[in-house]
Amino acid sequence: MTPAAPAETAMPLLEVRDLAHYYRQPDGSARLALSLNRLSAGRGEALAVVGPSGSGKTTFLHILAALIRPTEGDVAFDGQNLREMGRSGAAWRAASVGYVFQDVNLLPDFGLLENLMIAAEISGLSSGSASERAVSLLGRLGLADKTRNRPCRLSLGERQRAAVARAVLHSPPMVLADEPTASLDADNSRTVMSLLLELCVESQSLLIVATHDESVKKKLPRLVALEKPENTWHRGTPQ
Amino acid sequence: MRLRTTSRISLRHLRSKPLQTFSAISVIALSTALAVMTLLLARGFQQGLTDAVEPFDIVVSAKGSPYQLVLNTVFLRDAPVGNVRWRDYAGVSDDARIELAVPLAFGDSYRGYPIVGTTPKILRMRKAPSAPPWLDVIEGRWFEGEREAVLGARTASESGLAIGGRFMTSHGMTGAGGEHEEPHEVVGILRSVKGPYDRAIFVSIEDIWAAHEDHAMNIDGGRRGVTSILAHPISYSAAYSFAASYQRDARMQTVFPAQTAIRLFSIIGRGEGFLSAMACVAVCFSLLVATLALYWSGAARRRERALLRILGAAGRSLAAIAWLEGTYSALVGAVIGETLGRAGACAAFGFIGGATAIMPHAPFTPMEAAIPASIFIAGSIGGLAVAAFERWEGDELPLER
Repeated sequence: MTPAAPAETAMPLLEVRDLAHYYRQPDGSARLALSLNRLSAGRGEALAVVGPSGSGKTTFLHILAALIRPTEGDVAFDGQNLREMGRSGAAWRAASVGYVFQDVNLLPDFGLLENLMIAAEISGLSSGSASERAVSLLGRLGLADKTRNRPCRLSLGERQRAAVARAVLHSPPMVLADEPTASLDADNSRTVMSLLLELCVESQSLLIVATHDESVKKKLPRLVALEKPENTWHRGTPQ
Repeated sequence: MRLRTTSRISLRHLRSKPLQTFSAISVIALSTALAVMTLLLARGFQQGLTDAVEPFDIVVSAKGSPYQLVLNTVFLRDAPVGNVRWRDYAGVSDDARIELAVPLAFGDSYRGYPIVGTTPKILRMRKAPSAPPWLDVIEGRWFEGEREAVLGARTASESGLAIGGRFMTSHGMTGAGGEHEEPHEVVGILRSVKGPYDRAIFVSIEDIWAAHEDHAMNIDGGRRGVTSILAHPISYSAAYSFAASYQRDARMQTVFPAQTAIRLFSIIGRGEGFLSAMACVAVCFSLLVATLALYWSGAARRRERALLRILGAAGRSLAAIAWLEGTYSALVGAVIGETLGRAGACAAFGFIGGATAIMPHAPFTPMEAAIPASIFIAGSIGGLAVAAFERWEGDELPLER
């Protein structure tokens, strides 16, 4: 299965306009961390967000996950403006977003299956169906015999595969991956990306991957390039 | 997240940092134990004193220190204050305001167990009108003739004497004063009175007079002296009227042992107040340490909290995890502390009972439960404080690079 071509539909799943985000500096000024004029993407698409360090890739993913509110601009997801999300942001994120991190970030005190089940519970899946899907996903990712193992007993590649399983477990409309292969060797990197793409296409999730990795960029049909803002300062207090 | 899941995450967090968890629980448990023990000791000691003085309404004796009189007559410690004449006893006994008067004579002992010379009238003494007799022979019989003895419960169990056994009494309370010539025979054993008289050996007062024919018991040339008189008045007003009639007596005094014991306890109570204050400080300190331990543990988990938040966990679920960690630590600490405190108090009661013959005891009361309960609540509030502080800190995303 391959990711879909850019969406041409009248109502894209994700629409970004005139986005800018500033970080407050210790001296009270604000530094521009991210600037993106326009982006729209639909279900089943796969995008690579590329750019040099400091261009705001992680900030962009955090904005898409409604973890931070952008200083300027609008982000609409399925017609809903993420800027307007207050306390409901967590519930929306749990149901609508799957997240894969560079450093894996599984809960260290829990086994793999428990890690997936906690994520499933947060996302609102019923425990019966979540358990069945979690076991099936872990089996598919070659982790069937390690469901009870804690993360510290697994290789980095195995942990990242488990993190992929956690991100797609509830078939979210959008999966965000922040440098998912940066800590992996070439073989594991290929495996993880293939699985991520395959599972997102299956569930028709919009996949957005922030990456430096050339091999990853090649696998994704669409690139969104962010540039590092240069000397763009904003006096005053950012939101 | 369901409460079951947040609870599971909290418990795993506590288990994954055993040293930190153990330290937090230990300080809570030890301070709870200290507070519980202080309370129980104070209450138990007061109860022991109250139980010991309960059978004694009024004690009449020769003029002297009322504390010494109570220590000697009620607690069977210290030296007698002096003797009064038998006819003084007869005067008390015949007084219309007195329902029952019992003569006591002290001064001898057997291996440290005090010999109490008295008459069978002592068997009529009761703690309250409706209560059973204070002294109850459970084995053998009460003394009837010369050189017969009845053992208190503890004397019987500790001294090795049994019914039919013979022993020689010694002059004085230490046994260093030399033995009397004639042996006594044990004819009965009493049920425990849960007080100092469990260590007594009762003999006929005539035996005491006979043994002291040539010295101490001779008062004003007469051979029949009495160390103290236990008097049971017919009423409260009669008691005070009776006591007032001795106020200007140059030779004799009346003492209400209950009042004297209260005065004694108020002196000890000042120490107890200080101990209670120290226990409160220890409890506050332990809760602070436990709260800090929870905070440090939480700070080490900022990454996990951020992860759960990114996964979509609600702020209240993250707060519940921190709160439950505090609550569980406080609960376990309070339960262990209550157990340790009670065990420590029981051990101390045993020691005090052995050393002083006062039998302190402290039955469980709601006041005692209030200590671990308030520590549990305070620990729970500490968990909430940590949760609130974490939430305040929570805007930083440690996962962000």
